[in-house]
Amino acid sequence: MVLEALEREGVELIFGYPGGANLPIYQHLPDHPKLRHILVRHEQGAAHMADGYARACGKPGVVFATSGPGALNLVTGLATAYMDSVPMIAITGQVASTQVGRDAFQETDVIGATSSVTKHSYLVTHISQLPRVIHEAFHIATTGRPGPVLIDICKDVQQADAASVPPEHLEIPGYKPNGHADLDLAKAAAIALAGAERPVVLAGHGVLLSHAESELREFAERAVAPVGTTLLGIGAFPVNHPLSLHMTGFMGTGWNLKAVQNADVLMMVGMRVDDRVTARLADFAPKVKTFIHIDIDGSEMGKNVRPQMELVADAKQALNAMIPHLPEPEKTRGTWLAQIDAWREEHPLRYTHSNGHLQPQDVLVDMYKRCRNEAIVVADVGQNQIWAALWWNYDRPGLFLNSGGSGTMGFALPAAIGAKFARPELPVWCVAGEGGFVMTAQELSVAVEHQLDVKIVLLNNFSLGMVRQFQDDFYGGVRSQVDLTHMPDFVKLADAYGLPAVRVDKLSQVSAAFDAAERTKGPFLIDFRIDPEAKVYPIVPLGKSLNDFWEAPENA
Amino acid sequence: MPDKIRVLSVLVEDGPNTLSKVSGVIRRRGFHVTAISVGPSPEPGRSRLTLQVDHGHAEADQVRKQLERLVEVLDVQDLTDNDVHSRELVVARVAASDLAGLLEKGAKLLHSGPAEATVEFAGDGEEVGDFVNELTRHGVQDVVRSGPVVMRRTA
Repeated sequence: MVLEALEREGVELIFGYPGGANLPIYQHLPDHPKLRHILVRHEQGAAHMADGYARACGKPGVVFATSGPGALNLVTGLATAYMDSVPMIAITGQVASTQVGRDAFQETDVIGATSSVTKHSYLVTHISQLPRVIHEAFHIATTGRPGPVLIDICKDVQQADAASVPPEHLEIPGYKPNGHADLDLAKAAAIALAGAERPVVLAGHGVLLSHAESELREFAERAVAPVGTTLLGIGAFPVNHPLSLHMTGFMGTGWNLKAVQNADVLMMVGMRVDDRVTARLADFAPKVKTFIHIDIDGSEMGKNVRPQMELVADAKQALNAMIPHLPEPEKTRGTWLAQIDAWREEHPLRYTHSNGHLQPQDVLVDMYKRCRNEAIVVADVGQNQIWAALWWNYDRPGLFLNSGGSGTMGFALPAAIGAKFARPELPVWCVAGEGGFVMTAQELSVAVEHQLDVKIVLLNNFSLGMVRQFQDDFYGGVRSQVDLTHMPDFVKLADAYGLPAVRVDKLSQVSAAFDAAERTKGPFLIDFRIDPEAKVYPIVPLGKSLNDFWEAPENA
Repeated sequence: MPDKIRVLSVLVEDGPNTLSKVSGVIRRRGFHVTAISVGPSPEPGRSRLTLQVDHGHAEADQVRKQLERLVEVLDVQDLTDNDVHSRELVVARVAASDLAGLLEKGAKLLHSGPAEATVEFAGDGEEVGDFVNELTRHGVQDVVRSGPVVMRRTA
């Protein structure tokens, strides 16, 4: 009955792991050949795969896990999806309804454990609830601000026999996803932005989720307003566009931060305006007279920055409502754009070339030259993530996937596997540090089993790089528990899992390694032994304002 | 009422998860419930929660907005600073010798015995607070007090 309901919702792929409390579902799985099930090696891997799948194709990722430890292993993956508004359906087995509350074998209060990391959750104790719950869950996961929805199904419900009839129509009185912008407000906001002397637009994940990239571009070009993106908004606006400010936030580009800090009108679209974007809140965008905030989630309004104009709406709807009120682009904003160009010249992205070590940026730049924008890059968390964000010029949506809000180490490999299942026609590159990689490395088996063309770019610096950088610069230079010299030989590890791999120590070997990766069908790993002292720049020191960003040393 | 306290009237779906989800949101957003009352609403399957919530360092409107995100929550009215009827109830077991004075203050007799009596008193938060103080002065220990139920004076 669960499986029929999933078929009705158009599910094609499930990432999961069987166990005592979901065996009735697995018993019937072979009768549903349209549902392809990927057996993961750890439930966290399933959740990240479903997440990567959803981010890459927009359809909700579906996960199965058993009760107790199985369901609890999903928690990190649910939190990751929840923070980044990724649609996901997690179906967990629960002990029989008559056993609930008796501390039965593998019983955990999964609703309790996951309430804070799901958009909604259901405990199904009777078969009559099931069709409605599954239909509602997909609706809730995919509409409004998307997010993971968990359905905890008691084992006796899974075994019950009932005609599977979906309800005729959805009725969820407490669920009111926002959509349309208030037209008067939209007009006023458009006029405010158009009338600005130094406008800046920042775009977040919401722009990608509502597929508003072309509207954003039209808006920016008509308003002659420069556009930066958040880490999760990368792809919402082409990095190579003359109006692009690239990435914002405390590891954003210097010219972006200068523009934000000098803007007089700041429009924030589809974003939460979190601490990684604002740095020290009291000093965020201090010259702004009018903050315009567009987000589908009304609770984001004023949560961190109190806007003068709030549009609680889908990004695409809001931009479409605003565009007609922008004047024809007679204004060129020559002074403001020239100022930004000057900042771009003054504060370019740069990195150390000359210390004899392989630099991570060299690796990424070579990779970018090969792939252009014809590949999906899935980054892990830490330095590798920021390098991958800054050193590729993503010009289209959906090409850069990473765990932004939650910052989940171990995300990249399983998410890359999920992305590859979603977009088999695109090359998928997994960029990870060695620390995060080993957290979910067991999923290599899945890549090998399904011969997925996932190329793993390990930026191996023998340490927890971002933590080391923070310790060096913000915690008194005390290097504490960041040494990762004792790690597996990754080439041998790959061999043990059954995939080819090479090690690269020098710049001169980079191209040949990428050639080999591209020639190889199926998964491939390159262990890039990078500069163990490499750092991420620019960076705003913790607790400081965006004005105080540090840059890479010049021509070092 | 102190600055940081919001008074909300919340209509919710009456389900096994509802109260824990409401309280979970309040806890993880850094709010704190200072008083609560719950009862069935006239609509079947729906309950009315009245909450007094300290919103801590968050913006005042976050309490309403975060509650509205819950699918179990059907309607939230922030009644802070509204012109409202706010009623609380106290039930206390008192010495028979104290009874007359308490009845004079507006208490209602629920039960009377030779040595002790049980009274109830209803009023707004301040009146109920005064009444409880009066009980304390008489050394009364056995007191139960409800959370408030709140309604706008005009619809």
